[in-house]
Amino acid sequence: MTEETRPSTIEERLEQRGITRREFLKFAAFMTATLALPSTFTEQVAHALATAVRPRVVWLEFQDCTADSESFLRASNPNVASLLLETLSLDYHETLMVPAGAMADKSLMDTVNGYPGQYIAIVEGAIPTANGGIHCTINGQTALSRADLVCRNALATIAVGNCAWDGGIAAAAPNPTAAKGVKDAVPGLGTLINMPGCPHNVVNLAALITHYLTFQQWPERDGQGRPVFAYHETVHEECPRKDHFEEGRFVLAWGDAGHRQGWCLCKMGCKGPDTRHNCSTVKWNDGTCWPVQAGHGCVGCAQGNFWDQATPFYVSTNCHDD
Amino acid sequence: MQDTNTVQRIAIDPITRIEGHLRIEAQIQNGKVRDAWSAGMMFRGLELIMAGRDPRDAWVFTQRICGV
Repeated sequence: MTEETRPSTIEERLEQRGITRREFLKFAAFMTATLALPSTFTEQVAHALATAVRPRVVWLEFQDCTADSESFLRASNPNVASLLLETLSLDYHETLMVPAGAMADKSLMDTVNGYPGQYIAIVEGAIPTANGGIHCTINGQTALSRADLVCRNALATIAVGNCAWDGGIAAAAPNPTAAKGVKDAVPGLGTLINMPGCPHNVVNLAALITHYLTFQQWPERDGQGRPVFAYHETVHEECPRKDHFEEGRFVLAWGDAGHRQGWCLCKMGCKGPDTRHNCSTVKWNDGTCWPVQAGHGCVGCAQGNFWDQATPFYVSTNCHDD
Repeated sequence: MQDTNTVQRIAIDPITRIEGHLRIEAQIQNGKVRDAWSAGMMFRGLELIMAGRDPRDAWVFTQRICGV
């Protein structure tokens, strides 16, 4: 279907895909709650989603493992997946797009040159800076040069996952390729929103974009460019096992009586007290579960430099009960 | 139309719809691929990064080789 014959509003397109008005409103309520807005905003969010003109998005992959794309695509809740794909005009995404080689590049440059300052750049993966940036190239261009061109011309840049935030695993010691996140590789961007996590959670990305479509501005961010709605509380503060922590009930060995009863995992190396993210409320797999619920400690994947700061993962460094 | 006997060299980069940064170069003669080269265009050095770490952490690192 060409751009001209596509139904123009998201609501119409969702109808074509069999998503009912009721499901649509449920999604709007879910986004409103994720953004920590009063439920009275649901109607405004729904109206914005229903009438918004699709923002153009280019998705750049650099030193990545594609898990942030997987998180984006594996939103098993059909509302989240459909709404994201219907809400955005995804003009460039190497893992998803049909054109390859020079034709892929044309898709990217058509958006960058044709819609300067109007498209959203989403970056996944770190940017290597050693040896002139040769450790990641696309069509003969370094990740560094592509990021610089695409992000500097964008309306906003969203760095999804830890690698795009601070270099992530590629930047872990000894950082063989001098990998950096967007904030350090392309400094001085007007609007850079960091969505750390390994990978980032698609519910938060959906909520971020929903906020922009509703209010024509990005949500409040902290000093590190992270949206406050998703990165304010520590994992520990919101942990369903926190009562066990306060009562001094700790798992001391995998499979012990406490582990079987869901006690606090901090003596097993849980990094929840050091990590700010909304995992316990947003969860994974369509909101069914998350690591601590499954019986494993938080590895601290939303904190800065976690591959060096939060390791060894199974050594407790923050369990100050005694 | 170019002389088909001439050896042409083409490069397709990025190869899309796969995970990773793949580049294919091919030599073409008489409308057929005569030789081809593939290259992964991204390097992180995960082996170097994992050296010396707690072995219990290895799965978390190696999981990030590919997230697909």
